[in-house]
Amino acid sequence: MGLLTILKKMKQKEKEVRLLMLGLDNAGKTTILKKFNGEDINTISPTLGFNIKTLEHRGFKLNVWDVGGQRSLRSYWRNYFECTDGLIWVVDSADRMRLQDCKQELHSLLLEERLAGSTLLVFANKQDLPGSLSSEDIRKTLDLDNIKSHHWRILPCSAVTGENLLDGVDWIIDDIASRIFTMD
Amino acid sequence: MSSDVRSSAAASTTSAGKKKQGGFLSRQAKSKQTDPKDIVYEADLLRKDFVTPEDVLRLNSVTEKYLCPPEANVYGIDFTRFKLRDLDSNTVLFEVAKPPPSDDADPNAGRFVRYQFTSQFLKLKTVGATVEFIVGDKPVNKFRMVEKHYFRERMLKCFDFEFGFCIPHSRNTVEHIYEFPTLSAEEIKDMIDHPYETRSDSFYFVDDKLIMHNKADYAYNGGTM
Repeated sequence: MGLLTILKKMKQKEKEVRLLMLGLDNAGKTTILKKFNGEDINTISPTLGFNIKTLEHRGFKLNVWDVGGQRSLRSYWRNYFECTDGLIWVVDSADRMRLQDCKQELHSLLLEERLAGSTLLVFANKQDLPGSLSSEDIRKTLDLDNIKSHHWRILPCSAVTGENLLDGVDWIIDDIASRIFTMD
Repeated sequence: MSSDVRSSAAASTTSAGKKKQGGFLSRQAKSKQTDPKDIVYEADLLRKDFVTPEDVLRLNSVTEKYLCPPEANVYGIDFTRFKLRDLDSNTVLFEVAKPPPSDDADPNAGRFVRYQFTSQFLKLKTVGATVEFIVGDKPVNKFRMVEKHYFRERMLKCFDFEFGFCIPHSRNTVEHIYEFPTLSAEEIKDMIDHPYETRSDSFYFVDDKLIMHNKADYAYNGGTM
């Protein structure tokens, strides 16, 4: 029995899932995290470090890591890759100016060896804002169709209204569970 | 007694370990608790140069003393906020920011917190406990918390959580959302009737060395929620 198998078996027992939420600053990562957990979203300031939440959801123990997205913090992202089961990439769909920056950051993450086995969920956030791009537009601009290395999905969402947040998290858990917890 | 919330006692609420709650190590600790061979005593740990997570997981009661001096925290880690909310009623039960530093000569000031709750507190179902902490100018590796709650000699709960890496000069938050266990009527009465006999130790490690040790005790016989 290899080490990976043993680790997978341990995880299976725990049903513990580690989700890493990244994206450019002001994409809405913290707001998504708080909205998903029923917290007040009126007073959110830029994340200058991380926000972690541990919770139980559908029998899984979720550990969600939201790490600040400011340029000066991005070089620290790699410290949080280890053991990540799912990557949630959050996009500000109304920030047309920085979509190329957003695309580059995402594609460089996908090259990371320590994220190789993770599922990717892209949240096209801020759909409540007038002038936001559709998830179809985001999908094309970020060149998602060329991603062959990861299971991925994009969903339009709004951290403010809560639209699709649960669907997104449920999808990523299902995908992770089908990869990790069902094997023996 | 200081009323400082500095120790912030992550998930300071008392709870009788729910089945499967806590990490692998904490459950190891619980199972080890029954095996007298593996129990370690405070006096043994006070003699060590530094204390490890495995050491404190093997303790089977609250400590009388602190297992490291305040100076062990060379990373400038400081707990700045503590919040507790009830997810069922969607209300914040309390939120406290750390008071400004005092001129208190007691080097242990701020390492102890006393919580006074009403008996209603023991009837909560789902709670979220948030701590906020800041980090100094050095990166912190393998930051880990072990927190053990006891009523008298019985361990109610053991939290064991690894934050991992912390960015220099960062401000971070962690919220643990968990099911409050249903305590028996007898247990509840006992805990209400014996204020401050529910106690906790919070141990914080960097690279598996103890750098902070905070304590709290709890009453459920009145006071504020």
